[in-house]
Amino acid sequence: MTALLRSAKSLLLLEFVGGLWLTLKYFFRPKVTLNYPYEKGPVSPRFRGEHALRRYPNGEERCIACKLCEAVCPALAITIEAEPRDDGSRRTTRYDIDMTKCIYCGLCQEACPVDAIVETPNFEFSTETREELIYTKDKLLANGEKWERAIAANIAADSEYR
Amino acid sequence: MPRLTVDGIEVEVPNGATVLQACEAAGAEIPRFCYHERLSIAGNCRMCLVEMEKAPKPVASCAMPAADGQVIHTRTEKVKKAREGVMEFLLINHPLDCPICDQGGECDLQDQSLAYGRGHNRFDENKRAVTEKYMGPLIKTAMTRCIHCTRCVRFAEEVAGVEEIGAIGRGESMQITSYLEKAVTSELSGNVIDLCPVGALTSKPYAFKARPWELKKTDSIDVMDAVGSNIVIGSRGAAVLRATPRINDDVNEEWLADKSRFAVDGLQERRLDTPWVRVAGKLQKATWAEAFGAIARGLEGLSGDQIGGIVGDLNAVEDMAAFKDLLAALGATRIESRQDGALFSTVQPQDWLFNSGLAGIETADAILLVGTNPRQEAALVNARLRKAVKKGGAKAFAIGPVADLSFPVTQLGDDAALLTDLPKAVLDVFAKAERPAIIVGMGALKTPGLYEAARAAAAKLGVVKDGWNGFNLLHTAAARAGALRMGLAIDGGVTALGNGDLKALFLLGADEVNVQPGRFTVYIGTHGDRGVRHADVILPAAAYTEKSGTYVNLEGRVQRALRATQPPGDAREDWTILRALSSVLGKKLPYDDIDALRRRIAEEWPDLGRAGLIERTHSLSDVTAAPVKGPLAHAYSNYHLTNPIARASATMAACVSSLLAPENREAAE
Amino acid sequence: MTYTGWFVEQFGQGLGWFLANLTLILAIAFPVMVGVALAVYADRKIWAAMQMRRGPNVVGPFGLLQTFADAAKLFLKETIIPSGASTGVFLLAPMISFTLALVVWAVMPFDAGMVLADLNVGLLYVFAVSSMGVYGIIMSGWASNSKYAFLGGLRSAAQMVSYEVSMGFILVAVMMYAQSLNLSDIVMSQKGNVLGILNGNIFNPLLFPMAIMFFITALAETNRPPFDLPEAEAELVAGYQVEYSSMSFALFFLGEYANILFMCALIPTLFMGGWLPPLDLPFLYIVPGFVWFLIKMAFMFFVFAWVKAAVPRYRYDQLMRLGWKVFLPLSLFWVVVVSGWLMFTGHFATAPGAL
Repeated sequence: MTALLRSAKSLLLLEFVGGLWLTLKYFFRPKVTLNYPYEKGPVSPRFRGEHALRRYPNGEERCIACKLCEAVCPALAITIEAEPRDDGSRRTTRYDIDMTKCIYCGLCQEACPVDAIVETPNFEFSTETREELIYTKDKLLANGEKWERAIAANIAADSEYR
Repeated sequence: MPRLTVDGIEVEVPNGATVLQACEAAGAEIPRFCYHERLSIAGNCRMCLVEMEKAPKPVASCAMPAADGQVIHTRTEKVKKAREGVMEFLLINHPLDCPICDQGGECDLQDQSLAYGRGHNRFDENKRAVTEKYMGPLIKTAMTRCIHCTRCVRFAEEVAGVEEIGAIGRGESMQITSYLEKAVTSELSGNVIDLCPVGALTSKPYAFKARPWELKKTDSIDVMDAVGSNIVIGSRGAAVLRATPRINDDVNEEWLADKSRFAVDGLQERRLDTPWVRVAGKLQKATWAEAFGAIARGLEGLSGDQIGGIVGDLNAVEDMAAFKDLLAALGATRIESRQDGALFSTVQPQDWLFNSGLAGIETADAILLVGTNPRQEAALVNARLRKAVKKGGAKAFAIGPVADLSFPVTQLGDDAALLTDLPKAVLDVFAKAERPAIIVGMGALKTPGLYEAARAAAAKLGVVKDGWNGFNLLHTAAARAGALRMGLAIDGGVTALGNGDLKALFLLGADEVNVQPGRFTVYIGTHGDRGVRHADVILPAAAYTEKSGTYVNLEGRVQRALRATQPPGDAREDWTILRALSSVLGKKLPYDDIDALRRRIAEEWPDLGRAGLIERTHSLSDVTAAPVKGPLAHAYSNYHLTNPIARASATMAACVSSLLAPENREAAE
Repeated sequence: MTYTGWFVEQFGQGLGWFLANLTLILAIAFPVMVGVALAVYADRKIWAAMQMRRGPNVVGPFGLLQTFADAAKLFLKETIIPSGASTGVFLLAPMISFTLALVVWAVMPFDAGMVLADLNVGLLYVFAVSSMGVYGIIMSGWASNSKYAFLGGLRSAAQMVSYEVSMGFILVAVMMYAQSLNLSDIVMSQKGNVLGILNGNIFNPLLFPMAIMFFITALAETNRPPFDLPEAEAELVAGYQVEYSSMSFALFFLGEYANILFMCALIPTLFMGGWLPPLDLPFLYIVPGFVWFLIKMAFMFFVFAWVKAAVPRYRYDQLMRLGWKVFLPLSLFWVVVVSGWLMFTGHFATAPGAL
């Protein structure tokens, strides 16, 4: 008897109809997603986005080429070359981040003793070519200038938990 | 032999040992900064404090002689507290600039503060700042970081023999400085960089270049002099960034000469990275096939005795063996290795080796230097000689130009005739000596007949005794001993090579010899140096860091180096070039890989196939000497520019300008 | 004067006829292509809405131009021909797929008399052409020289063959009612065919189950979920299309959606009264039949998209079991029932050519 009932049920597509009814109800529900390019979700101060190299307020670059970020980077995305600058201070001659390798773990900014390399809240930096994703020192410093206010605000917001 | 107890383990140490050595024998790790095995004991860092029963306070183990019945504790709370206290004091004035310090990652202070320190600092006052000192183009100073261990001062005084570094001031005002702020003139000055437990003294050419964890470390053998120092090549990518010594008590102890340490930047410069062929008087870039074709054409119709070869100073045994085989296949037997024109018997190894051995020369008690400046020709031999004179009380005499050897030497004059007519003072000292030694330099051996005179003098002075052979030739070329072992020498030396009907000349890295034009010349080497001047075909080869090779040092010690980097561009390892060339010339050499080549070497010269000293006997045959006279010369006029790598090195050039013209210092800075 | 007649007058017999038909073909093909673009957009929008997402909404107003942007992207990409592929067959396969998907529209009546080729064997033609669609797929699967494409092609061939059998039986039932294979006649036969007021076979209790079964087989024929095994991305990474890129992929994609649209047109034609309004009331005929037809098509497409959003994919053995063990016997049985009923009611007595 149950077998017969089950066959009848499946023959009458009752479960399909139930499923279709359910999806039809959802069809008229309000959307839960954001209208992304025009609406954006909240971003945590700890958000790890595009990288930037910061400067001191007097314009001096913070990075001292200690290479701790290069050493800690689990994706081996960072390449640094250093030599003494004319004034004898230790500076990078090359600071490259391969953004195609980066996994955005944030260990570089954790390792940095001078808060030079940071991850900005910016996550919209797609490019048309892969080459553009090899970030050079110039690009990173430019990022730092562009995002300094947001970076400083984030660091300030998160400082009490550090 | 005192017996004492360390952490419950009973150990027996030799007389004169310290508590620190006893602790190490018992397997306890004692942190230290000022103590160093090869330097005198200072006892001023206090890091090695241990607890000794019946002593009221913790004792500095490095300065406390071990004695019977001492009971030492190294793991008690008291020791821990003492170490933490010492560490906190040391860190009071040490800046927290590890991120910009080149010592970071290989710093004793960093490691030990992590292991034994408190983890935080209670010192709120301002830190001391010390001005930086000028110590020449090799040593970079950051004296604020100095913890006053005085290792550098003791090294300069005791090992290098230049009293140029010292401490001035007391207490917090104490500063280490080179007196009068001048460059440190020792050929061993670079070792203070290794000795410095912090980042106060670092390498200037290597400044900020790399971190220790980035470097690939490869065990290698140095070729800048004939000592065959054991080194570690630190390379990153294709670049050799530094060379540091590896401990080998038989050879270089734990030191390294400056040229060996700092000339490695020459491996990057002026390199040959593609074959060149001379077309209508002008050198043009070529492919390997074109270059080999040019060689085949150049050798066309030449018989074996019209072909000659000169091997250079930096070659590995493998390269020279393949070179010898190739020329033998062409029918040529005339290969010379003594580019500097030195003339001596090459029949028996004991005829030309540094027979006393590097460690043995320390025990000599009477030393006669003939036309040699060991400080320039083999700085580490000079350090050994200094030890023999200063510590062993040996008497040293020198025939040849006056030179400051950093230890007292009785200068006899520079006339070669002195050899046959030795002053009475020398004869008296040698008559009483148990281990007399005579050291003949390559500069002196350019004088014809001097070798025989020296042999005669050696026989007269009785330098060969039971178990002791005091007749030594001080070679300057790393390749020389290996080449001579394989018989790469002809009667009359390098000048005789040009005699007769020499139509084609092969130069295997030979840059120190003045080659005349007019012959078909093939140069196989690393740098665009003197050897390429009249070359018709240039083949780019691998430098010593770029190949695995066997080297024989001046005492005949066979050592093997490993490959650290790749040769640049189209350059290849020398023996593979020769092997490929042999195929083109139709005289294919019978080995296809380095192991087969080494088997072939070991077949003919078994002692070159194994580590250790090459075979020799302790007796010297009699020679007939004719009187010689005339002034003797030293092999080198300029320590820093003795081979193509050093000549290409910017660091060595900076050394030359700073040492030759100290007034240029400000301009150079 | 007919449309063709005007062209014949202007350009002569041969050329005029050719031009007339060419313009008519373009007049069908071009709107179909635009329809495909809109269908893809609608598909994504409906699917998104049922998942409470927004779907494409950036390119153009409401994202309407999204499909055109995608198409432009595809056209600009490089056509990659795998080195191991059989080049000729590889390139031919998408063309076959695409051409057949357009050719089948020739017999579709959009309104009374609005049909390119008013074939008397229209339904057979549809059946024949849609069966040939499998060639494009199996050729691409074979020529790609890739195991994923090969498996996808094989699955697709087996699936289409299996469901065409039951589809044929369903069509037999419709045919028996309409007494014709001409699609226009089939539509006209549905005028007021149920209780004299309802237009559409679907309102006939005997044909309603057939309509549902036809819809399901249509899903299977067009590789739509839950029967999208040939291109199951989780298993076959896109099935027979895996090696295709750029235009060659676009042709497959267009062909696929043209086929779906055709099924969305065929179901109203066979079961819902084609261009007729749903009720046989005079005032409803004020609205042009063409509009009724489009409304019905749009509704069917919505159902296609709706099903896609609601159901998970079948396993392959379930698909085969459903085709051979459920649909085939059921449709066969239902043909017997329908024909028995028609025999009993004397329906065949009025059939043309009845004795």
